[in-house]
Amino acid sequence: MSRFWKWAFGSFAAILILAFAGLCYMAGSPKDVYGMVRYAFPHMHRGKLRVGADAPDVRLLALDGSNHFHLRERTGARPLVVIFGSYT
Amino acid sequence: MVKIYNDYKDHADFLTVYVREAHPTDEWQMKSNVKEDVCYAQPKTLEQRVAIANDFVQRQKYPLPFGIDDMSNAADLAYSAWPERLYVIDEHGRIAYAGGMGPFNYDPKEVRAWLAKRFGPVTQSTSTATPAASGSATTAPATETSVTRTPASPATR
Repeated sequence: MSRFWKWAFGSFAAILILAFAGLCYMAGSPKDVYGMVRYAFPHMHRGKLRVGADAPDVRLLALDGSNHFHLRERTGARPLVVIFGSYT
Repeated sequence: MVKIYNDYKDHADFLTVYVREAHPTDEWQMKSNVKEDVCYAQPKTLEQRVAIANDFVQRQKYPLPFGIDDMSNAADLAYSAWPERLYVIDEHGRIAYAGGMGPFNYDPKEVRAWLAKRFGPVTQSTSTATPAASGSATTAPATETSVTRTPASPATR
């Protein structure tokens, strides 16, 4: 029995190491794996809007840093393509 | 997205919403950011976020209309936007297209396909839309500029 558990533990450890190596390859480095787990995975579980749902209205700031507008002010006449992102 | 904007700006409106940084220096910085000299800490004030957004627009010569999410990240939270995502909102204020979470599921070609289905395929070589019923949508060009740059997809996509 103890030999069985040794093999089971060894196999499990090997799978974990392979999985980590695969994640490192996918993410780029161990540091990037940490970044993915720490910052990216939690955001993947947030609620998502579905097609057909009312688009939430939000208040945004213009590039001049002082004027505000609402996203819904840009809807109504034509479809609005919204691109969310950042520079980094 | 710049190419899609140039092709369809006569038919649809576009708005870029700047959200919290995806790969700031004090969180999960990627090697590509260092290589391309795009190194910013996560903004702690709205003024810092506005400054980075203006840097982006100027350095990338980004022509699309722009809005900045405030420090409560209301837009990011409402639209599950981080790090990057695409939506189309129809004339009735409803979600007509909801893209996947970037970078792997961020696909400007899907937006182009939606616009082509609605207005007909348009490329910069044609000045007007052709009827959608004429057949398949034009496939997107190989590169489209994206707000968020990822290691797999640099500034032009």
